[in-house]
Amino acid sequence: MTRHLLKLVWNRKRSNVLIAVEILLSFIVLVGVTTLAVFYVDNYRKPLGYDVENIWTISFEKHAPGRSSVTIESGPEDAAAARKPVDRGFVGQRARVAQLMMSLRDMPEVESVAAAFVTPYSSNTWNSDIEVGGKHHRYGFNAATDDFARTLGLEVTRGRWFSRDDDGAAWTPVVLNERLAREVFPDKDPIGQFVDEQRPGDSQGPRMRVVGVIREFRKDGEYAAPENFLFNRNRLDDPDVEVQPPNEIVVRVKPGTTAAFEEKAITRLRSAEPEWTFQAEPLTQSRETSHRLWLAPLSAAAVISVFLLVMVAMGLNGVLWLHVTQRTREIGLRRAKGATIVNIQRQLVGEVVVLTSIACLVGVVIIVQFPLLDVFSAVSPMVYGVSVAISLVCIYLLSMACAWVPSRLASAIQPAEALRYE
Amino acid sequence: MLKSYLKLAWKVLWRPKFFTAISLFGICFTLVVLMVASSVLDHVFAPQAPEVRQGRTLGMFRARMTGEHSTSTSMPGYQLIDRYARGIPGVERVAAFAMPQTVYSYKDGQRIKSLIKRTDAEYWRVLDFQFLEGGPFTDQDVANGAFVAVINATTRDRFFGGPPAVGRTFEADGLHFRVIGVVPDVGILRLVANGDIYAPLTTAKTDAYRRELLGGFGGLLLARSTADFPSIKAELESRVRTAPLPGKEWTKLIAPAESLFDFLAGNLFSGRNEDRSHPERLWAVIIAAMLLFSTLPAVNLINLNMSRIMERASEIGVRKAFGASSRTLVSQFIVENLVLTLIGGAAGFVLSALVLRALTASGLIPYAHFALNYRVFGYGLGLALFFGLLSGVYPAWRMSRLDPVQALKGASR
Repeated sequence: MTRHLLKLVWNRKRSNVLIAVEILLSFIVLVGVTTLAVFYVDNYRKPLGYDVENIWTISFEKHAPGRSSVTIESGPEDAAAARKPVDRGFVGQRARVAQLMMSLRDMPEVESVAAAFVTPYSSNTWNSDIEVGGKHHRYGFNAATDDFARTLGLEVTRGRWFSRDDDGAAWTPVVLNERLAREVFPDKDPIGQFVDEQRPGDSQGPRMRVVGVIREFRKDGEYAAPENFLFNRNRLDDPDVEVQPPNEIVVRVKPGTTAAFEEKAITRLRSAEPEWTFQAEPLTQSRETSHRLWLAPLSAAAVISVFLLVMVAMGLNGVLWLHVTQRTREIGLRRAKGATIVNIQRQLVGEVVVLTSIACLVGVVIIVQFPLLDVFSAVSPMVYGVSVAISLVCIYLLSMACAWVPSRLASAIQPAEALRYE
Repeated sequence: MLKSYLKLAWKVLWRPKFFTAISLFGICFTLVVLMVASSVLDHVFAPQAPEVRQGRTLGMFRARMTGEHSTSTSMPGYQLIDRYARGIPGVERVAAFAMPQTVYSYKDGQRIKSLIKRTDAEYWRVLDFQFLEGGPFTDQDVANGAFVAVINATTRDRFFGGPPAVGRTFEADGLHFRVIGVVPDVGILRLVANGDIYAPLTTAKTDAYRRELLGGFGGLLLARSTADFPSIKAELESRVRTAPLPGKEWTKLIAPAESLFDFLAGNLFSGRNEDRSHPERLWAVIIAAMLLFSTLPAVNLINLNMSRIMERASEIGVRKAFGASSRTLVSQFIVENLVLTLIGGAAGFVLSALVLRALTASGLIPYAHFALNYRVFGYGLGLALFFGLLSGVYPAWRMSRLDPVQALKGASR
């Protein structure tokens, strides 16, 4: 049966090639959109790592009149480069940040306050990578104060978060997320381990030692792929002149605090530090903005591809319809030889199924290259698999529906009439 | 000749109505997507008010320092523009503006969020704002650090509920400004001209920016003519090379003068240690995306056209038997297809206008006013013709090769 159908398809290869190309392109478009959707759904189900309700972020600009966005990409050896400490006034600025946090803590609505460089949903990113045993691990980076975990509700799964116990330690205390901990220390307890290797020739900077592991910290929110994350401790009263002051404050307020809190807080901060510029936003609002940004491309792609598929369905339907009218004699002959209507319909739909299968086979071969070549490393092969499966079901349903309507037309052909035509 | 083609095309159009409808739907939809995309690109990059002199303007939008192990990318700092871009031969004016900053104002317990852009007075002479009220601030205002501001129409409504606003004062970021001018809203994607509040540079809370080589500023260099661009770029490059770098770890600083498009291309497609921007790569990506997107509708249309031709096999057989050459048939068919595409294109224009109006009204991109102007109209017409040819040529060629005898018998495969 299948061989026979293949032969029939082959006999009309010229027009069938174009139909197959059309199905192939539709399949690829569909896989593209469903991959994005499945990727989002998959990410959304995973834990976020922090609380969103009742938290405000306050960011401040310290002197520049304009928002300065600086992207710094550092090579792994950069930390080893010999540098003389330069006093840029960081110690004083950190003390001023500590003052601001104190004045916020005095407010009755405030439960706890912490400072950091990168807050959830912010567009700031800070990436770095580290080499352990010849393997590079890339991670998102943040430096935060001792109250950060409590304020944002981070779940510490092993060890502890930073505290006063880390003052004066001979190493740099770090906290990893579970993902990075598993990646760097697959078969040991990470607590107390050094993350970076001491190599001969390196200048002897303090090494990074793990004091704790947190469940997760997905800075870019629910729709972003989970990534490795590493926290440094930021101590506002650190005597080291090179430790930079943080530029974000996070505040946990008591449940039921209204938006009026914002004006009070901003006024308080402005009078404490008139030369700085402050912005405050509840985390729920940042989440909303970030979700809109993530979902906009998906909804645009979805709308466009739905229209594309409707267009393809209509076109395919028309083409197959014309094929049936052109094959009146062939169908008449088959009917005269005793083929039933069901047989004819089965043949016509079968031909389209064969065509669709050929097109999808080529499509799958193309799609498989993406996980194999690791084009989008954030997308796991499982996501591709699910989206290919969804797309296959859709494409088969679509093409069979397109073949079904014209095949009913064929069944109306009277054998005697069709043969008389010859 | 053409007249009879057109007549024939019109007749053919009405024969199988269902197919015409499908084809028109496909053409119309494809053009809507392409035109909306080109209108958005046009909105971001094309010269339009107030950037009417964009053609003669070069921008300084990025500065990059490289060292042995590190790269730091940022906007240029004020000092870089002030000290190195002024007085280059061929440059009429140099303007500096700080990157917009979000500031809060509180009015009756409500928060008003605005973007403040601090500029020098030259900014108003490089750009050509049409003032709704009042005028720009002057060199004198900038020198004195006067707390005056130009605001856009939306900000005027937010603070004062409508005109007149000139002479009235408002608070933003804890500072009090007096309004001296009102300008129309500028789309937020227009990096150079956007802003809710425009204030003199010297109203910044500290003057630390004056000493910064890097960060937070953009520069505009208005040239006498585009012919001077290469020499201006070269001169700026050699001047920037003499700038003192902030530390021993840095070995090189670049801050090129370029168009906004080149800047974006440089951001996206230049390698970490590559100084040159690659606008041609951004062009290639845009064109490839558009081509890729139109492939599926084009294949769909080719398929439909093929089927329609086969249906008309007997007509073609008759014409061939009476001596019509392949060329005649091909041009007839292409004309038919172009007529179809242009009708679809016309519907596409109307629909695009509606979609763009909805997009503008949705406020997805604040202040953006997307519209079909003659430039986008031109792109659209070009796209429609290209699409018509793309989907008409192959079927026409197949048609012209039909064997008349077979065709007359009505047996075509």
